[in-house]
Amino acid sequence: MSALQKILYVEDEPDIQAIARMALERIGGFTVKVCSSGEEALQTAVDFAPDMILLDVMMPGMDGPTTLKALQGFPALVDVPMAFMTAKVQPSEIAHLKSLGVRDVIAKPFNPLTLAAQITAIWEQK
Amino acid sequence: MTADAHGELTSELANDIAVEIDRLRTHYVGRLPEEFIALEVQIAALDGREKDRKLLENIHHCLHKLTGSGGTFGLAAMSTEAREAENLVKSWLEAPHLIAVDAARAALLGVLSRLREAGTHNTVTPSAVNTTSSAPFSHQATGEQRLNLWLVEPDAQVGEELVRALTQFGYQVRRFAQPYELAAAIVGARPDALIIDIGDAAGMAISDTVSHTLITLNCPLLLVSEHGDFESRASAARLGASGFLVKPIDAARLVDHLERIFDAQQALPCRVLIVDDDAPLAEHFRLVLCAAGMEVDVLSEPARIIERVATFRPELVLLDVNMPGHSGPELATVIRHHDEWLSLPIVYLSAETDLSKQIKALNRGADDFITKPVSDPQLVAAVRVRVARSRQLGELMSKDSLTGLLKHSRIKEKIVVEVGRARRNGTPVSVAMIDIDHFKSVNDTYGHAVGDSVIKAIAHLLRQRLRKSDTVGRYGGEEFVAVLPECDEATAKQILDDIRERFGALRFRHDGIEFASTLSAGVACSTTLSAADGNELLIAADAALYTAKHAGRNQVRLAGE
Repeated sequence: MSALQKILYVEDEPDIQAIARMALERIGGFTVKVCSSGEEALQTAVDFAPDMILLDVMMPGMDGPTTLKALQGFPALVDVPMAFMTAKVQPSEIAHLKSLGVRDVIAKPFNPLTLAAQITAIWEQK
Repeated sequence: MTADAHGELTSELANDIAVEIDRLRTHYVGRLPEEFIALEVQIAALDGREKDRKLLENIHHCLHKLTGSGGTFGLAAMSTEAREAENLVKSWLEAPHLIAVDAARAALLGVLSRLREAGTHNTVTPSAVNTTSSAPFSHQATGEQRLNLWLVEPDAQVGEELVRALTQFGYQVRRFAQPYELAAAIVGARPDALIIDIGDAAGMAISDTVSHTLITLNCPLLLVSEHGDFESRASAARLGASGFLVKPIDAARLVDHLERIFDAQQALPCRVLIVDDDAPLAEHFRLVLCAAGMEVDVLSEPARIIERVATFRPELVLLDVNMPGHSGPELATVIRHHDEWLSLPIVYLSAETDLSKQIKALNRGADDFITKPVSDPQLVAAVRVRVARSRQLGELMSKDSLTGLLKHSRIKEKIVVEVGRARRNGTPVSVAMIDIDHFKSVNDTYGHAVGDSVIKAIAHLLRQRLRKSDTVGRYGGEEFVAVLPECDEATAKQILDDIRERFGALRFRHDGIEFASTLSAGVACSTTLSAADGNELLIAADAALYTAKHAGRNQVRLAGE
């Protein structure tokens, strides 16, 4: 297994984009491509060829689960692990999100100092 | 990872990142007011029609975003507040019928006000807190920031009188004759609280006149009305009023309400002790509670519980049930063997789900059981609610019911503690004994109810004019004691003289007769009376009070003067 390098990050909120990008690039040393909507992610994902995809759940337009389903339809992305990042915390909601085929669900608020380590750990899960 | 071989960030990188996070956070916090205004606009647009559903969906979305982003940027309290509100709005959206629009709007405006509060108060970084903490001698009387009140009172005479009385109590007051005048004043200015005399406007008339301004002002509201009927009170509640007073307005009662509002805003952080041998889990709980603004200490060696409770003085203990060596119930029992900790809330935090075992554990001195795993907001809420309740009970037990000041026995304890502390630190501490002049004749002439209002007025003044670190107690019927740490003789005299003048300027009224009252005080300071213990200081202050009385009353005297 090669190392985690490229991350596609889908999030509509600019402040969260900025802090997550900083955490992933500066602390994790990853290459991060940020998309502000599900639609943008669908146009970008295959060309960018990420090692992992992070998706916000509540977004205007295409929400996280819809985007996930569409991304899962690309043959080039079938082996790319995906994870949701969400402020939903109800166990039932988490369970539902996991059942959609993501590797894990990362809770918001997240700690910027440990986010990179958390994502690495998810990526290393099998 | 760009961390070193041990997975730790190098100090240089950590520093860079801290600076960067700070920058992003400042940007985020700077943008929050816009978010709040957007939320406010949506709330104001709710009108009870079908489009409300769409508005509520938008509001839910805004709140959801604030939950996630607020916590990430370190605004934990705001995040928790947003999460609760998000769940509330979600429950409305899932209900088969639209919720009553007045109730929804009032609830959401309350939420918005708390979000604003949390969004601004949490932005203070620890270093900023240190630089703004009050200097040892900065009493309110010597120029501390005064709370700013806006008063809408159409009756000029009543208005002037209230302004005068509230000013005596240390507030800064701006009077308006009519509610509509507020609209012009709110440009660029905000009061700490708003008092509106709505006269005999009944029912919905209130909301028509005032509600829009209130939305924008977003500060605690006190309403004064001619009528105390249920409908008037209910419409006040709908407006989100924090207090409702029926005329005639008694300044002391008004101040009572104001103090309650401001005290609630400035509650001290909860102190929580976690006893758990699982270090990573204990650390997680510590972080969660700290993020919610609490002071937390973790104890991993159960054998040191007594020592730690005595030094840290927690307001709540979270106790793991199963620990090697000593069980939770055993520790709870040990804590309860000490009389002074009989009322300390103890909560088990455990993975134990067997109900009979839980009950058995509860029988051994603890108050409640939280089952692991527990979500972070649930833990914060559980701790906060229990500490708040315990504080209320503590107040009832230790405070005088008429004045809200410490009772005789408690103030004496406090003097001993403060004098001991001052001696260790090598700082001065002053004790003042205060007595209302000719109080017996007030009671005899106007009755005990009026006498009580005089006593309440002086209690308010003392609380108002002294610092948070000072302590005031009701020593006897009309006699009070104040303990002023880190305060020398001259400063203490100056403060007491200021209080004496303000008290003398208050006007009391009974059956149309107006009267004033005065006070005398004696002050003793630890540095003047060498090697004095608490008791000696009290005796010296009492002697100085006696001198003040004999020299003609209405004055402050120093011990040995």
